[in-house]
Amino acid sequence: MLTTPLFLAEEGAEGTPNPLLPAFYDILWSSVIFVVLLLIFWKVVLPRMQALLDERSAAIEGGIKKAEEAQAEAAAALETYTTQLAEARAEAARIKDQARTDAAKIEADLKARANDEAERITAQAHQRIEAERQAAFSSLRTEVGTLAIDLSEKVVGESMDDARSAAIVDRFLADLERDGATR
Amino acid sequence: MSLLASAGSEPEPFHPPSISEFFPQVFLFQEPTIAWLGEEDPIFGINRIMLVRFIAAAVLILVFVLGTRRMRIIPTRAQSLVELPLGFVRDGIAYDLLGEKDGKRFLPIITTIFFMVLAMNLTGVIPFLNIAGTSVIGVPLVLALVSYVAFMWAGIKKHPGAFFKNALFPSGVPWFLYIIVTPIEFVSTFVLRPITLTLRLMMNLFVGHLLLVLFFAATHFFMFSAGGLFPLLGVGTLAFGFAFTAFELLVSVLQAYVFAILTTVYIQLALAEEH
Amino acid sequence: MDNATTILAEINGNIGTVGYGLAAIGPAIGVGIVVGKTIESVARQPELQGRLTVLMFIGIAFTEALAFIGIATYFFMTN
Repeated sequence: MLTTPLFLAEEGAEGTPNPLLPAFYDILWSSVIFVVLLLIFWKVVLPRMQALLDERSAAIEGGIKKAEEAQAEAAAALETYTTQLAEARAEAARIKDQARTDAAKIEADLKARANDEAERITAQAHQRIEAERQAAFSSLRTEVGTLAIDLSEKVVGESMDDARSAAIVDRFLADLERDGATR
Repeated sequence: MSLLASAGSEPEPFHPPSISEFFPQVFLFQEPTIAWLGEEDPIFGINRIMLVRFIAAAVLILVFVLGTRRMRIIPTRAQSLVELPLGFVRDGIAYDLLGEKDGKRFLPIITTIFFMVLAMNLTGVIPFLNIAGTSVIGVPLVLALVSYVAFMWAGIKKHPGAFFKNALFPSGVPWFLYIIVTPIEFVSTFVLRPITLTLRLMMNLFVGHLLLVLFFAATHFFMFSAGGLFPLLGVGTLAFGFAFTAFELLVSVLQAYVFAILTTVYIQLALAEEH
Repeated sequence: MDNATTILAEINGNIGTVGYGLAAIGPAIGVGIVVGKTIESVARQPELQGRLTVLMFIGIAFTEALAFIGIATYFFMTN
């Protein structure tokens, strides 16, 4: 550093300009450059930058809005799904109940029908048995009558006319029935 | 010292840095002249330093006009290189200290000051330019005046009539202390502010240039003229030259930041309700 | 050596250099204090680092201005 003042001391005598005193052209050109730069930054660069920033924040806000919309949409979809699911569940429960009551009804029907059928079959069976009994009874009556007459003919050894034999058989049978009834 | 001084008798003498480096020959527009500070100065004179300033300003304009031409929402790498410093001045200096509303009003001035100072500082370490455009008093003085006018204008516009009262008679001080406080406030606010702004910037770059010249001139002298064991010393001075070049880079950015932020602080103080 | 002595004498005659040397002492100490206190504050409250750094640079700028006025005095005192 010491060399600087040394040199200054030598030059100072010869009229070196003082660095603190501005030359006129120095001030002039400095001002010109400043004004030009100021205008360029003010009118060109910073508005462009501001426009970019606005655009960017708008884009960010738009993005946020879009995301919010998507979220709302998703929420709505979820809502619908949930309601639909609940509805479906209720429907299923309803159907199950219905099925259960239907099944009970069918079961009861079937039971009733089976009972009816059984009764019918029983009745039929009774009727048939009665008819068969009747048939057996009448055939037996004839058979027994014939047999008894045949037997008595053989025992008596004489033939009886049919009218007499029939009256005898009837009388016999009537006695028999009367005996059966008193017993 | 004696080494350097006695070298004067060698065939190629040591060239110490000198003040006249900051006043190169005016080679264009030597006419017309004007009487200015007791001298005849060429009105439109252009010398090497003016040329360096024009180059710095042209590069600045090119970079920022072309760099902001087709801006994308998602920045490309080149675009973010332009956006980053603009964003730094906007958010880090203007909005941070002035708030968004006032910051936007003064942003053009602050941005211009920052980038003008930065560009003209950096010419000091750029090869072949090799002198900072701000190391001659014109630019620092003009910018300091701009800053001065800006904060006065801000204050007067915000507090018409009350600005000078607030600045010179701070509230909360007993009246008899105004005898001492008011002159101090006057000098520090309206006299020292522009002077310190000018001198801080100019002297930083001025001294930086002298130091660099000293180191590199000494290296040249030690390496090629002094002979003997002096080249060893030259290695040392060369290393110092590199170190100080890096330091000058730091100073360039720092001084641009300091100039811009002080301008902003002055505006902020002028806008403040009460001092 | 005689030559050197006379030149050295001329340097000594230039009181501006000494003035700058004196003028640099105060700001040097001041900048040291400003930076040191900032570091202390950041160590205490690291979350305020951004604001403190800004304040530090403003403080340094005010403090070091004195040193540069010191350099300048040489020029306006010699004329």
